[in-house]
Amino acid sequence: MAQFTAWLQASAIGVWTRESPSIWAYPTVLTLHTVGLGVLVGANAVVDFRLLGFAPRLPVASLTPLYRFMWAGFVMNAITGAMLFASDATAKAAQPVFYVKLTLIALALATTAVIRKRVERAAAIDGGASRGSTTRRAAAASLLLWTAAIAAGRLMAYL
Amino acid sequence: MDTFVAWMESTAVSRAIVASRVIWPVCEIVHFIGLSLVIGIAGFFDLRLMGFMKRVPVSAARDLMPLAIVGFLLNLTTGATFFIGKPHQYVGNVAWWAKMFCLLLAGLNAMFFETTVGARTINLGAGAETPRSAKIVGAVSLASWLGVLYWGRMLPYIGSAF
Repeated sequence: MAQFTAWLQASAIGVWTRESPSIWAYPTVLTLHTVGLGVLVGANAVVDFRLLGFAPRLPVASLTPLYRFMWAGFVMNAITGAMLFASDATAKAAQPVFYVKLTLIALALATTAVIRKRVERAAAIDGGASRGSTTRRAAAASLLLWTAAIAAGRLMAYL
Repeated sequence: MDTFVAWMESTAVSRAIVASRVIWPVCEIVHFIGLSLVIGIAGFFDLRLMGFMKRVPVSAARDLMPLAIVGFLLNLTTGATFFIGKPHQYVGNVAWWAKMFCLLLAGLNAMFFETTVGARTINLGAGAETPRSAKIVGAVSLASWLGVLYWGRMLPYIGSAF
């Protein structure tokens, strides 16, 4: 692991992201990571709040195009996240909160996949997911997990 | 401006914000959660105004907007906390002024929508085409919120805050 992170950090992409004085290097990669976060978590929030009973006039089935935005946000953040990790791999790999963040993202993605299946069969829940139903619990879990992933990500700068 | 910065940094509130090891990181976490709400919820409405996702009734997309306002208020509060804590980082920072300009643009654009095209747009149902003016309002809104995010994230790199 230590060998891998040292190699990654010394790789062309690691060095460029970390050391290039260009505004297109670290600052832009970091900004795109924030845009991707906003799109991914924000689009999730639209679906989750709807399933929790907000905006009952909003047809659940009409929300399926949002999954394209979630994918775009996720792919953007997987790429920019890998670049940010490469720029400082040894230090980041030694941070427990980094693994907490990755675990939270994995759990959040799994929850999002569960919810997506239900949204695609939306006829059954268009009247609003019933209280205490699995769909509602999944929506609440999704909001909590994505929020916690943001918190863990932010704390990487402090812990 | 220097007098204002010196005065603000001498206040008890400002000192407490900077002295705390918890306030700043917690406000940053909340600022990023608020950001997601604004981009996600307002962005959803903006895209519908622009003519995307036509199966979504405009009126129903608007029903979620209170959540975007919650996100905005979270960020107004936490943003004010950053400003009160370290005003010197912001008042002379070109990225901060660009961010404030984008915020002003987003606000004026929303006011324009509410007082003009909004009335004949917000009740449109699923499948309805939005007027051209509403499409422009949606595009300006989305661009100005992304501008707020961009200049905010660039504060340390263009205007050298932090």
